Amino acid sequence: MTEEIKNSNWKLRKGQIIAARQMTATEKWFDIKLDDGDLDHEPGQFVQVELYGIGEAPISVCSSPTKRGSFELTVRAAGRLTKHMHSLGKGDWLGIRGPFGKPFPVKLMTGNDLLFVAGGLGIAPLRSLINYVMDNRREFGKVDILLGCKTPTDMLFGDEIKEWQKRLDVNFSCTVDRTAPDWTGNVGLITSLIPGVTINPEKTFGVVVGPPIMYKFVIAELLKKNLPERQIILSLERHMKCGMGKCGHCQIDHPKNYYCCKDGPTFTYEEVKDAKKL
Amino acid sequence: MKTEKKSVQIAAKPKVAFFDFASCEGCQLQITNLGEGLLDILGAIDVVEFREAISEKWDKDYDVVLIEGSIGDHHAEERLKKIRARAKVLIAYGACACTGGVNGMKNSFELDEIRASVYGKDYKLFDSTATKAVHQVVKVDYSINGCPIYAPELVEVLKCALRGLPYTVPDNPVCSECKLNENVCMYERGVSCLGPWTKAGCNSWCVNNGNICYGCRGEVKNPAKNANDVISKYNLKPELIKAKFDMYNKCKEADNNGNRK
Amino acid sequence: MNYHIIMKDEFDGFIKKLAKKMKVCAPVAKGHNNFAFEEVTSAGEIALSYIPTILPPKKYFMPQREKMLDFDLTEGKPKDAANLEAPEMAIFGVHTCDLAGIQCLNMVFSEKPRDYNYILRKEKIFIIGLECNGYCDGHASCALVGSHYPNGGYDLFFTDLGDKFILHVGTQKGEELVEKMGLAKASPADMSALDRVREGKKHAFQNEIGVDPKKLPEIFAKGMDSKVWKDLGERCVSCGNCTNVCPTCYCFDMADTINLDMKTGSRNRAWDSCQFETFASVAGGENFRHERAERQRHRFYRKFKYPLDKFYRSFCTGCGRCTRTCMAKINLKDTLKALAAEHK
Repeated sequence: MTEEIKNSNWKLRKGQIIAARQMTATEKWFDIKLDDGDLDHEPGQFVQVELYGIGEAPISVCSSPTKRGSFELTVRAAGRLTKHMHSLGKGDWLGIRGPFGKPFPVKLMTGNDLLFVAGGLGIAPLRSLINYVMDNRREFGKVDILLGCKTPTDMLFGDEIKEWQKRLDVNFSCTVDRTAPDWTGNVGLITSLIPGVTINPEKTFGVVVGPPIMYKFVIAELLKKNLPERQIILSLERHMKCGMGKCGHCQIDHPKNYYCCKDGPTFTYEEVKDAKKL
Repeated sequence: MKTEKKSVQIAAKPKVAFFDFASCEGCQLQITNLGEGLLDILGAIDVVEFREAISEKWDKDYDVVLIEGSIGDHHAEERLKKIRARAKVLIAYGACACTGGVNGMKNSFELDEIRASVYGKDYKLFDSTATKAVHQVVKVDYSINGCPIYAPELVEVLKCALRGLPYTVPDNPVCSECKLNENVCMYERGVSCLGPWTKAGCNSWCVNNGNICYGCRGEVKNPAKNANDVISKYNLKPELIKAKFDMYNKCKEADNNGNRK
Repeated sequence: MNYHIIMKDEFDGFIKKLAKKMKVCAPVAKGHNNFAFEEVTSAGEIALSYIPTILPPKKYFMPQREKMLDFDLTEGKPKDAANLEAPEMAIFGVHTCDLAGIQCLNMVFSEKPRDYNYILRKEKIFIIGLECNGYCDGHASCALVGSHYPNGGYDLFFTDLGDKFILHVGTQKGEELVEKMGLAKASPADMSALDRVREGKKHAFQNEIGVDPKKLPEIFAKGMDSKVWKDLGERCVSCGNCTNVCPTCYCFDMADTINLDMKTGSRNRAWDSCQFETFASVAGGENFRHERAERQRHRFYRKFKYPLDKFYRSFCTGCGRCTRTCMAKINLKDTLKALAAEHK
């Protein structure tokens, strides 16, 4: 006896790729339109992307909810699914579940200065917040963006970054680990940019997104600037397989039993400082 | 083992060929025994060579080749290289092809000694080399471990190959599947079984049918460093476990001291 | 709710009648002191005295392998549907440790976003508990977590009184079944007999580790860096037996299969284990629980720390399965004792 579960949380929304662009050798950008309306996400949330017959992977939404009609993903070809996703293009259909996860605390940030620190692919989830802030610029105080990547060719969203650099209401700096012939900017780790930023610890939120190795050093620099632990916001990486706080894969080794998919992926440093690994 | 994604474009109905080397051809038999499942497969592929079932030969390139058997002499090595050169995708199937299988036991002896014992005093007339698994001779895109192969896994791998997707051989111990099948543990029956150290993926086929695990799918990548507890709990002799493992896993020693990824 | 009586010589008739109405599963002897819940049609097949089965009854609520979604790509734009096959069934002979286990799973899967596969299956299952009048074996630690007495979670609950069973009716569904079967009400003498069984259990079941369970959360709160975990890590073979047999382990993996037509297929759920090496790894290569010691620690925290904070109850039900099944003699009671000893 078979019955259909109409309200199953495993059912997928149908998304069609309306634009796609290879950004670097390993990253590809997708613009996706759902057939049932807007994704209705908040900055910092993620979706589960299903390639039918291959599987699902959690991907951060890299566009701001202020952009309506479609949403964007930046996908690094890292696993079985994401590698295959690189072969997709305009017109192809995907299954989408979500949005999932706790977004960046945008409301709490209102009226405060913002310091964004992005390493590598960390710019993707952070871009959902940066663009949100740009579109609501007058709600926030001073905005600093620090960006680090391995080499100049690994830089994502280069065209947009040029626009950020031109804006007078944003301070933007960038550094690369290894230089290239036509690079005139900073060379060195992202931590080297932090001492140069003036912050008012009373009213600044530091938002840090990057590979696990980056957190320890960037947080140490921010704490040196007396930024309170609860005003340092991170977005952690785990393999969220269900997105519903059940499958167990994304649980963080922390006395508080955090599931990255439900309690995160965004956390304050205060919340997760006792985690075994960030 | 992770298999790399192939970028080659495979034709609408791919040309697939099966070849055998040193083996009992039992894995081919598993395929012919698939029954209705075989008809589904034949709907998706075009089999151009298959000694066990058809007599035709194919003189063009292959989209997919499936190699059964281990490589035990110079002639076989050359023949395998020629097949590889004509194949877009190569699948090694069965323990002999993937890990050397029982043929690997040859490598426990001095080559000339074993040649003499098999072929007599004129053994030099008969070409023979140390046993090699297929990946020790040519690049392998997919592996289907097991003696014989577990047919449902063959179907899964074939689907991956036809879609250009990687297939990862499960790397958990056989116990992980055996427990789900609710078998009484062989150790509880007083019999030692290689399940705790052998790669799963066979759905604990042997134990489901009352047999022990012989380790035919090869050792897990990261076996417990210290199995003293297991050995003492069940009163085992470590040499016995090692000897049992040698039945299927002797060729592993040629893989970078067994540290093959 | 009521108490009823069923004489032992009526028991076979009870099972047979029940089996005519629906599939009945009960503990069955598999040899070598192993038991498993399997389908039965008569009382003779049932092992009334059994140590916890190889797999707990969670396999009926959350099957080892389960289809969550069918999809069809024939028309370009994908179509999918969540279809469930869950026939009505009864499980007879569920011990109190396993009743507690089912309650734990109920909490997890009823939490939003809900898992309707689990919830709809659960609604189709009639649960008949069976009391343990004494310990099953020395590996159990049910008194430690207080699951040696019934705490709900059943439609009917059987307690052996020698020549008869006394049945506690836990739900209206249970009441209806008892009425249909025409079972007599329990007499005051039967009630006294039940009291005597319960009184006897007070002495028979004692805290198995000599550590106050109220202290466990604090012990675990301080125990993240204990050397106990390193010791377990050196012994563990990562076979996943401990989590597969656990009545409250519910971690799972999702995977797609596609049919040979390459157009239709399904998304499937299978049990997974936090003891497997790749469980906490991400596509980029980072593994957040690379060491066996970290994985074993995680298992214990998922029983004795995290769920206490979240659901106010221990997710260890004291069944002892993990200890019995461990290939490497990792013993739950000894581990707890060693951890407690460090924080004296």
